Amino acid sequence: MKTVDTRGQSCPAPIIALKRALKEVLEGELFELQTDNKVSFNNVSRFLDDNNIPYTVSEKGGLWSVIITKGNRNTIQLKSELSTRDIVPHFSKGNFVIAFSSDIMGDGDRTLGQILIENFIKSVKDLDILPGKMVFYNRGVYLGSESSPIVEHISDLEKMGVEILLCSTCIDHYSLSQNIKVGKLSNMYEIVQIMASAGNVIKP
Amino acid sequence: MKFGLLQLVESGGCSSKISPRELQEILSFLPVPEDPNILVSIDTHDDAGVYKINDDLALVVTVDFFPPVCNDPYEFGQIAAANAMSDVYAMGGIPVVALNIMMFPSSELPMGVYTSILKGGFDKAAEAGMKIIGGHTINDATPKYGLAVAGYVHPLKIVTNAGARPGDSLVLTKPVGTGIILAGQRLGISSEPDIQKALELMKLLNKSGAEIMNSFGIKGATDITGFGLAGHTLKMAKASNVSITLKLSKVPVIGDTYHLVDEGCIPGASFRNLDFVESDLSVNPSLDYNLKMIAMDAQTSGGLLLCVPVENKNSLLEKLHSEGLRDSAEIGYVTEKREKFIILEQ
Repeated sequence: MKTVDTRGQSCPAPIIALKRALKEVLEGELFELQTDNKVSFNNVSRFLDDNNIPYTVSEKGGLWSVIITKGNRNTIQLKSELSTRDIVPHFSKGNFVIAFSSDIMGDGDRTLGQILIENFIKSVKDLDILPGKMVFYNRGVYLGSESSPIVEHISDLEKMGVEILLCSTCIDHYSLSQNIKVGKLSNMYEIVQIMASAGNVIKP
Repeated sequence: MKFGLLQLVESGGCSSKISPRELQEILSFLPVPEDPNILVSIDTHDDAGVYKINDDLALVVTVDFFPPVCNDPYEFGQIAAANAMSDVYAMGGIPVVALNIMMFPSSELPMGVYTSILKGGFDKAAEAGMKIIGGHTINDATPKYGLAVAGYVHPLKIVTNAGARPGDSLVLTKPVGTGIILAGQRLGISSEPDIQKALELMKLLNKSGAEIMNSFGIKGATDITGFGLAGHTLKMAKASNVSITLKLSKVPVIGDTYHLVDEGCIPGASFRNLDFVESDLSVNPSLDYNLKMIAMDAQTSGGLLLCVPVENKNSLLEKLHSEGLRDSAEIGYVTEKREKFIILEQ
């Protein structure tokens, strides 16, 4: 059985060692964590309880031995994998910006423009390197509203770590403030700063 | 090697507060002072006390000090001072005068360290327009520094943690994660840019945030310090007798805070704060554990948590962003009192 010795360490070091061990051992396998610090022991057991990880404890002369069983899919591993995918940016982002000035792509037929913008945003999601930021102004802000056919895709991009910024003057102008479903509000100063500091600005 | 203050401490900044639960127990043994001029006192666990002088003027008083949160003594002085003044700003007041509080191992550390800490405090006070007019030092093995601050507020314009109303949106003016980043720094796993960002945020006065808060006529606010986002939100919900829902994926964080927590970098203070809030907490079962623990992270000189009527939310955010508080974000909302005071959602 593997032993994780955290004697002499105070928080958060023992929890870090514990999480590393949880990653390394196989499902169903046992390992031991040792600590000689009461507070660390309390925090370690608290962490295991919170994450439904089974363990047993024995204490002798101020040394705690915690025998931990790495569980299966219900444990922290799954949770943090999920959240990494859902919330935390880990996709590569480039130094380019996409600026949406309209709710359609191009100037021609409106129905065609809607189809194109939908395909455009789907294709952005498939890029190897995502844009660092996407800014929306004038009728572009409609794309972030609940009636937008592509708001879910924009929301996905936001979860993938792309910063979504919408012009607040435009949202007020179109009375959309109650309907915006994605991103954060921005202003002209910030939008200009973003465009000026971008390597490239793409305008669909 | 350059001398670093962090060599002298185990836990720094507001992480060094005693557990909120213990504190509450201790305070319950003390009588609440009675005087019609006391406008805000310890009974609501607010950021500072407020005492009415006359119909146009009340005094806001607060004290805060802690061991070093960084290696550089001058920066430590700045952070301690910004943190001490924050309580006054959170009450809608303006800090006016202050006294230094210093504990210092004068036989062991060069006097230059002492003067640098004081200089940092002095310069930060000057930035806020506050005068330091005295102080007190005693010998102690671990240095500690802070200020007792007195400020002015109009008795009718006090902002308290009892001012949250159902329907309000909650806006936070600084990202969280200072406790996690500093704990990670001691273990060498925090990145240099994140450490720098945390230092900048801790040095940043809540002055401009408070000015915007006052210009919007906001009545409910608190600052986020040692009890963490969840702890201070709970104090606010209790004092206002409302429930507050926090949407934790909306909470702005410093740099790679999330990944540090995912690696297990959860400071001891977070578990203390969790103990304190737990019985008043309703946690959505699908909530990511890492996000929950970020809400427990003890902040040093954290941001303001503002309760804004929903119709003013967008203009408030726009104003905060345009005044340089670019990380400001809406992170939750206030409802009528439910079964639990705090509801944590993804």
